[in-house]
Amino acid sequence: MAEPIVALDAAMPAPSRRPGRMTVEIRQTSPAGQKILIRGAGLLIGLAISVAILAWAGVGLGNLANEFVYAIFSDSRSVASVLIQMAPLLIAGLAACVAFRVRFWNIGIEGQMIFGSIAATLVAITDFGPPALRLVVMLMAAALGGMGWIFVPVALKLKLGISEVVSTLLLNYVALNFLLHLLYGSWQDPKSSFPHSEQYDAIERLSPLGWENVTLALPLALLLALLLWWALNISRFGFFTRFVHANPKMAKAIGIPVLGVTCAAALLSGALAGVAGFAISAGIEYRMTQSFFFGYGFSGILIAFLARNNPIGVIIVAFFVAILFVAGQSLQVFYQIPGAIVQLIQAIVVISVAAAEFFIRHRLKWTR
Amino acid sequence: MADFILNWLVVSPAFAVPFALAALGLIVAEKSGVLFLGAEGFMLVGAMTGAGALIVMGGHPLLALLAAMLAAALVSLIFAFLVVVLRVDQIIAGLSMVFLCQGLTSLISTQQGWTNRPISGLDPIALWPLSELPVLGRLLFHQDAVFYATIVIFIAFHWVSTRSLLGLRLKAVGENPDAADAAGVNVGLYRFGAVLCGAALIGLAGAYLSVGVAKIWVDGMAGGRGWIAIALVIFARWQPWRALAGAVLFGCIEALIPRIAAAGIQVPQYFMLMTPYVATLAVMIWAALLRSPRTGQPASLGTPFVREERR
Repeated sequence: MAEPIVALDAAMPAPSRRPGRMTVEIRQTSPAGQKILIRGAGLLIGLAISVAILAWAGVGLGNLANEFVYAIFSDSRSVASVLIQMAPLLIAGLAACVAFRVRFWNIGIEGQMIFGSIAATLVAITDFGPPALRLVVMLMAAALGGMGWIFVPVALKLKLGISEVVSTLLLNYVALNFLLHLLYGSWQDPKSSFPHSEQYDAIERLSPLGWENVTLALPLALLLALLLWWALNISRFGFFTRFVHANPKMAKAIGIPVLGVTCAAALLSGALAGVAGFAISAGIEYRMTQSFFFGYGFSGILIAFLARNNPIGVIIVAFFVAILFVAGQSLQVFYQIPGAIVQLIQAIVVISVAAAEFFIRHRLKWTR
Repeated sequence: MADFILNWLVVSPAFAVPFALAALGLIVAEKSGVLFLGAEGFMLVGAMTGAGALIVMGGHPLLALLAAMLAAALVSLIFAFLVVVLRVDQIIAGLSMVFLCQGLTSLISTQQGWTNRPISGLDPIALWPLSELPVLGRLLFHQDAVFYATIVIFIAFHWVSTRSLLGLRLKAVGENPDAADAAGVNVGLYRFGAVLCGAALIGLAGAYLSVGVAKIWVDGMAGGRGWIAIALVIFARWQPWRALAGAVLFGCIEALIPRIAAAGIQVPQYFMLMTPYVATLAVMIWAALLRSPRTGQPASLGTPFVREERR
């Protein structure tokens, strides 16, 4: 049986004159500076693609600089409108952040916002509770409303193993139809007969801070971000969530209450989403309208993703997304670009940053 | 009453076809182990391209359907590249694709003025003499070309997945990519191909909504059908015939909604519009009570194949 050895030798590739080929290696570690550089490059590529698409749609570079930088930072009114827009985005980002910490894919932020606002509006319409505490009661009701709406998917996931991605998303459609049922039915504004709720009384609105139209919604959002930062990074609960995020089976094996932690984080996510709905209704629009929630679900996911589930990072990203929202509105008014462009740009940015992650986890090597 | 039921059943296939095609597209893609959450987005791409192609090129509606399939497959190249080559988290990639497609279709159709423009659509074809049968003739043999094509596609997929080497390898890639790779199957190529074919079918499902049923394009007209199709696939345990049965059930439910209102039965309108979503959840719960929702799921679904870590 000498032959196979010869045959094996013959099968070995002869040293070739080919230039070699690209191979992928998995990195064990990646230095922090490199990580930032790679993600930054991903972000820039995403923004460059967005600029190219806007140019195709008829908004040139000069106009873009005007809408995104000059028009926003030239007067205090525009800066204020960014800060006003930032509050609900920030809270929605926190809602996504806490759920993703335990790998609960809450895609139903919009549905929970709707039920948060419905609960708050119910308190406002029925004038429930003492006037001095009305806003607090509305806030609590909104949190409970959002929490109630996420409870079903949480129970289905933990008891029956039903994917929360599908169930939370389907419940968005149910919530939207219920909202329309109310607004075209018993909650229709009696004064104007328009399909939105009657205006909140003065005591049911988050009070203005005295600078432009910025209301208490912004400090509320910042406070929630700090509280969540404490809960996720300092408290024992946050410590547990890190184990659940890394490996639920291992976490269970070392005695961490995985079920309880997942359940608590998901319910907290729903409650925060409900508060985001309250922040729009009581802090910006002073009534419940039919599309107040639109787009916040995906923006929340995007903000949490770009902030890497860090509540302090969420504050920063929410600010930039708020600029995008405000600029998107003026693009719609002045250039007839549909509002969907905001969603498109966000999707492109998520995709390019997620794609760039490849180079954090892998190294391309040229081998001969 | 008999008239009501007959009229209801006759329109049901038109509502069932998009669910059936989308569910089959999802099964094709997911059999290879790629979690495909982008169905809603690819339906929109198909629906818009179908309508746009009819407006721009005119010609036979079937050409528009073909263009829609191509467009959806083209957009899915991005998704396939992300999850197969770059190993991006499949949930993040799938969700982003939905929002990318929503934004893209809305932008393009507004810029081109395709929104809310009525188009000529598909006409029913009577398969004589079968179409002369009482009841069944109107129900099954007086439908449009896509209806017949759907049945052919299901039979073809059944044959490919159970009788051919291609189907066997696709299954191997989804169940155990390490073993498939060791046996010489190109896992990445199969996953790429499965995603493209799946997206094309989902694009056809979407185009059927605009070209076949509504004969108009409206922003976001898929209306959650892509998500319902995902639920259908879980309910069907990734088996095409069960998915078809589920699609028929949901088609009948959807076809019932406008008829109940027309029959003068007093149900609040928005509660009627909720029913497909509530029914989907109910079906998912019912299926989960019988068996774990993971039954029948391709074993490697959602996990990227990393050859460097092959064991």
